[in-house]
Amino acid sequence: MARSPHSASPARWAAVILPPLCLGGFLAWSAGLLTPASISPSHFMQRFHNAGAPNTGFRRAHAKGMCVTGWFDPSPEGRALSHAGVFKGEHLPVIGRFSLAPPLPYLPDNPNIARSLALQIRTPSGDDWRMALVDMPLQSMRDIADAYAFFKAARLDPVTHKPDPEAVKAYAAQRPWLNTAFEQAKAHQQPSDLTNDTYNSLDSFILTNDAGKKTAVRWAVQAKEPFRPAEGSGANDGNYLFKRLVQTLDERPLSWDIVATIAREGDPVNDPSQPWNDADQKVTVGTVTFTKAYSEDENPCGPMVFDPTILPEGISVSQDPLLALRASVYMKSYATRSAEHKTPSMVTPNDVANPTLTSDEKGQ
Amino acid sequence: MSLPQNTGKAAPFPRLSIMLHWIMAALILVMLFVGLFMAHISSIHYAGLFTLHRTVGFLLLLLVVIRLINRFTNRTPPLPADLPSPMKLAAHLSHILLYGFMFALPLVGWAMLSAGGYPITLWGGCHIPPLMGFHPHLWGALRCLHSLLAYGLILLILAHIGAALLHGVIRRDGVMGSMLGR
Ligand code: HEM
Ligand code: HEM
Repeated sequence: MARSPHSASPARWAAVILPPLCLGGFLAWSAGLLTPASISPSHFMQRFHNAGAPNTGFRRAHAKGMCVTGWFDPSPEGRALSHAGVFKGEHLPVIGRFSLAPPLPYLPDNPNIARSLALQIRTPSGDDWRMALVDMPLQSMRDIADAYAFFKAARLDPVTHKPDPEAVKAYAAQRPWLNTAFEQAKAHQQPSDLTNDTYNSLDSFILTNDAGKKTAVRWAVQAKEPFRPAEGSGANDGNYLFKRLVQTLDERPLSWDIVATIAREGDPVNDPSQPWNDADQKVTVGTVTFTKAYSEDENPCGPMVFDPTILPEGISVSQDPLLALRASVYMKSYATRSAEHKTPSMVTPNDVANPTLTSDEKGQ
Repeated sequence: MSLPQNTGKAAPFPRLSIMLHWIMAALILVMLFVGLFMAHISSIHYAGLFTLHRTVGFLLLLLVVIRLINRFTNRTPPLPADLPSPMKLAAHLSHILLYGFMFALPLVGWAMLSAGGYPITLWGGCHIPPLMGFHPHLWGALRCLHSLLAYGLILLILAHIGAALLHGVIRRDGVMGSMLGR
């Protein structure tokens, strides 16, 4: 017969209760609940929120943007580096998204903001190559701890609605390993437009070819349009960068070369904050050509995620810690914003249909 | 045919059921630890953990199907006759819930990545076809559901372990032994 619970000793009851309690404790610990100092994607969401990201359905970074569509045509040189289906020689459809880097979806265009481009290239057989690139020369963080501190320094002061310049200075001063990155950012000459800007992956990737040879590369999506400096190009229209891109696309297609910089012995592959040797070989693996613009409210590029770790067989991530971080943080941002009610984007379908520059109160 | 003896001792489960139970228990614990870690602690191991999570997740989906077939085609030892009926009800209900959550979790994982437009690749490069097209709102909802189901499964498992130990240590009615092959 079964024993009556009333006759059981406290030790027996402990043997019943403690094992599940311990397991629960271990599970809580693996979720970071018992280690308040651990950094999680939710903590990053909080920092983006403090840096001005609203909770109205926009990306937590690079929030203001516009979609474009077009084509990718690979070069034979790409095929020699990677056996990815995207380099087999087919003319492939591309979705792109031009954006401004800050987490502010209603930021008026102005010449001083970092700009970005995201791409998705797909083959009919299901290969999917996503990229997210910015027009900065080097990354101003080298690992997860830097990234977490960086976005803390980006916090908007509740009174001035601007980041505290002292916090940004302190971030740089405490990190001598970022000196080169900040110097190059300062020396970087911003071009007049989105159309003649060059966008960089900063993080590196590993290409594998048919023979199994691996090559570490950094990507640049390099402008073919002539450089003109940004100075004095600001128009009195909060969407002038995007509208001028639409105007050009209404006249003619716009192309960029996708250029791989090949790492040599000694180039810091896993640290996007450090420069590579200037003499590194550069290989154009193909050309993207955009033909049409859309507001992100009327194109799948708006809701989708350009996670740079979504890669076809033949391209893989390097050991760069920031790529691992980006995969998880982009997923968190993507899940959060997808469950929100989205307000209209600043570049509206009407701006794309009728891209005449007007002086509006949002302009500079 | 012999009727189950009303000795208060439960008969053991069939071999296959015992094997499935313990293999799946170990894999589910791995999945819970990996899932919680990757979703809540930013680390350089994200890509590797995520690939492991997808691969073991699909393996578990396969195993739960086999297990459900086994459950309905194979004998399950009855609970001791002297178990109070509220406890019997709790046992049956919690087992139905455990099966439901074990089946729903990987299925929701598959559906949510499909809805989010993520390609689903397993360890070794095997591609899993999407369950549906691109539905960003559904992705957001299903991602949330995946977490809720996982937390629910954790509570069920903790209660399940507590109940098994209650049978084994306090009541000593042979129910725990029936899953240990004794
Ligand atoms: C190499 C460095 C980086 C580059 C080139 C880069 C570039 C980009 C670009 C272009 C986008 C916009 C994608 C789109 O249009 O959908 C983006 C989005 C985003 N970035 Fe980065 N990024 C970098 C590093 C980081 C880091 C370190 C973090 C923070 C941990 C971060 C957080 C985000 C977030 C949260 C989004 C929004 C994701 C979404 O909801 O779709 N980025 N990034
Ligand atoms: C029995 C099977 C599974 C279990 C027990 C499980 C468990 C978990 C747990 C505990 C989490 C963390 C939830 C949170 O705290 O937010 C999680 C997250 C996740 N799971 Fe699963 N899962 C299973 C199957 C799958 C499958 C089959 C897939 C996909 C094919 C999947 C994809 C994911 C993804 C994408 C996340 C989110 C990761 C992140 O937020 O960075 N899961 N899972």
